[in-house]
Amino acid sequence: MGLLINFLDIIVFIGIFAIVALSLNLEYGFTGLGNFGKVAFFLVGAYTYAVLMERTEIPFYVALVMAMLTSAGIGLLVSLPALRLREDYLAIVTLAIGEILRLIVKTEDWLAHGVWGITVPSAIHWSGISVLETRLVNVGLVYFCLIVCFTFMELLTKSPYGRILRAIREDEVAAEALGKDRVKYKAQVLMLGSALAGLGGGLYAQYMRFIEPYMFMPMVTFTVWIIVIVGGSANNWGMLLGATLVKLFERGALVIKDYFHLPIDPINLQYILFGVFVIFLLAYRPQGLLKERQIKTKAVEVVQRWRNRCSE
Amino acid sequence: MEGNWAQVLFNSAVTSSLYLIAAIGLTLTYGLSGFPNFAYAEFMTFGAYIGYFVSRQLGLDIIFAFIGAFLASGALGALTYQGVFRFLANRGATKIHLMVASIGLGFAIRHIIGDRWGWPPFTFGISWSAFDIGAIRVTDLWLGLIFTALATAAIMHLVLTRTKTGKAIRGISTNPELALASGINIERVNLVTWGFGAGLAGIAGLFWGAMAALSPLLGWTTILPVFAVTILGGIGSFYGILAAAFILGLAENLGTVALTQFGFSTEYRMAIAFIILIATLVARPQGLARAFRRL
Repeated sequence: MGLLINFLDIIVFIGIFAIVALSLNLEYGFTGLGNFGKVAFFLVGAYTYAVLMERTEIPFYVALVMAMLTSAGIGLLVSLPALRLREDYLAIVTLAIGEILRLIVKTEDWLAHGVWGITVPSAIHWSGISVLETRLVNVGLVYFCLIVCFTFMELLTKSPYGRILRAIREDEVAAEALGKDRVKYKAQVLMLGSALAGLGGGLYAQYMRFIEPYMFMPMVTFTVWIIVIVGGSANNWGMLLGATLVKLFERGALVIKDYFHLPIDPINLQYILFGVFVIFLLAYRPQGLLKERQIKTKAVEVVQRWRNRCSE
Repeated sequence: MEGNWAQVLFNSAVTSSLYLIAAIGLTLTYGLSGFPNFAYAEFMTFGAYIGYFVSRQLGLDIIFAFIGAFLASGALGALTYQGVFRFLANRGATKIHLMVASIGLGFAIRHIIGDRWGWPPFTFGISWSAFDIGAIRVTDLWLGLIFTALATAAIMHLVLTRTKTGKAIRGISTNPELALASGINIERVNLVTWGFGAGLAGIAGLFWGAMAALSPLLGWTTILPVFAVTILGGIGSFYGILAAAFILGLAENLGTVALTQFGFSTEYRMAIAFIILIATLVARPQGLARAFRRL
C-alpha cells in the first residue's frame, strides 16, 4: 500500500516535469532559445495558482488557466530586452529573472507569506477520500494535462509553424530573409513555453499543497535541462523518456540514503553525478537518446522519390 | 544611517573593488571563448574555502590564504577549461551546450564543496581590526581589498598593453581568425587567461567570504552583479569593467540607502544589479566598451 502510494508520487512528478520539459523543448529543442530560467516560470505558475486558490473561491481549473496566462505574460516581458540580442544574453537574463522572482516571493510577506510558505487548498475535496484515491485523482489530472500538452506540441511542431521554428533554429538570418520575423516567432515561443511551464508550476502547487521559495532553486531549471538533453532535444517523445529516467534516478538517490552508508551524502552525490553526467552526455551523445526525426511533408516525399530514382 | 555620505562612498569603493576583481576573469574568458561561464561562481566559492582551509585549518598567515586561493582557483579554472570546455568545443558543442555544461560543472563543484565543508554558512573567524579615518569606519580587510583591486587594475593594464600575451588576448577577442592567421597560439592564451581569471575570482571569493560568511552558495549569490558588471562594461573589455564595477558599486550602495528610505527590504540589493543589467541590454547592449575605443 505504502509502496503503491510512493510509486504514484513518482508518477505524478514524472508527469509534471515532462510538461515543463516539453516547454523547454519547444524553446530550446525546436527554436534554439537557451532559457536558463525555467524555474522562474514554474514559480510564477505555482504562486499564481497558490495565491488564487488561497484568496478566492474560483474553481481550480480557472486558477490553472490563470497560472498559465500570468506565466505567459512574464515570458513575454522577459523576451523583450533580450530576444534581439545574441543567445547568451537571453541565457543571462532568464537566469537572473529566476533569482529575482524567488527574491520577490521570499521578501514580500504579504504576497505569499514569504519564507514561511503558502498552504494551497486542495482541488480535490470529496468527503471520505483516502490518500491513495487522492494520489490517483492527481495522476489523472496531471496526465490529462500532459496528454493535452503532448498532443498540442506534436501537432504544433509538425505544422508549418513548427517548421518555421526549426528554420529559425538552423539559420535565423536565412529565415529572416524568407520573410519570417524571427523576433516575433521567438517571442511567441517564449510566451507559449512559459505558459506550459506555468501549468507545470500550477499542477506542482496543487499536488504539493504547500510551496515555499526554497522549492524554486536553480536546480529545477537544471533538472529540466538534463531531461531535455537526455531525452533528446526536438523530440517530444524524448521528454517523456527523459523525465522518467531523471526522476527515477533522483528518487533512487533518496532510496540509497535509507539503505546504504556512503562516505558522501547521496543527495550531494546525486547532484555531482548530474553535473558530470551532463558534460559526458554533451560530449558523446549531444542529440540525446531519441534523435530528432525528420518531418514528412509532401515536398520531402517528392524529393526522396527523385533521389531514389536518380540513384537507381 | 543618517546621511553619512562619506561612509556610503567608501562602502561603494569596497563593493566596486570586489566586483572588479571578480569580473576581470569572467569578461576576458567570455570575450575569448564567446560564452558566459556560469561555473565562474564556483571558482569564487572554491577560492573562499581554500583560503579558509589554508588560514584556519592549516593555521598559516592570511597572505598565504590569498596565494592559496589564487593558485587553487586558477588551477581549477585552467583544468576545467582544458578538460571540459575545450574538450566539448573540440567535439563541436554549441554555445548553448557550453553554457549547460558550465551550469552542470558549477553544480558539481558546489556540491563537492557542500559535502566537504557542509551547507550551513559560517563566518571566517578572524576579527579584522577596525579604525576610523575621519567619519569613515574602515577595517584592514577593506583597505586590503581596495589596494588589491587597484594593484590588479594596474597590473592588468600593463599586461594588456605591454606583454605579448596581453596583446594576444586583445587580438583574439577582437578578431579570432586574424589572430590565428598572425600566428598567435590561441589555445595557450586561452589557457593562461582562464587560469589567471579564475585565480582572481578565487581571491574575490576569499575577500567576500572573509567579509560576510562562507557558504557553498557564496559564488552563486554574487554572480548576478558580476554578470551585470561584465555586460555593462562590454563583454571582453577590461577598461569597460573598470567603469562598470565603479558604477555598480555606487549604485548598489546608494540604492540600498534609497531602499531603506522608501521602506523596501534591503534584500532587494541584488535587484539593483538586475535592473542595471536589463537597462544595459535595452539601451546599450554593447556596453560601455566602445566609449573607450581600446579593448
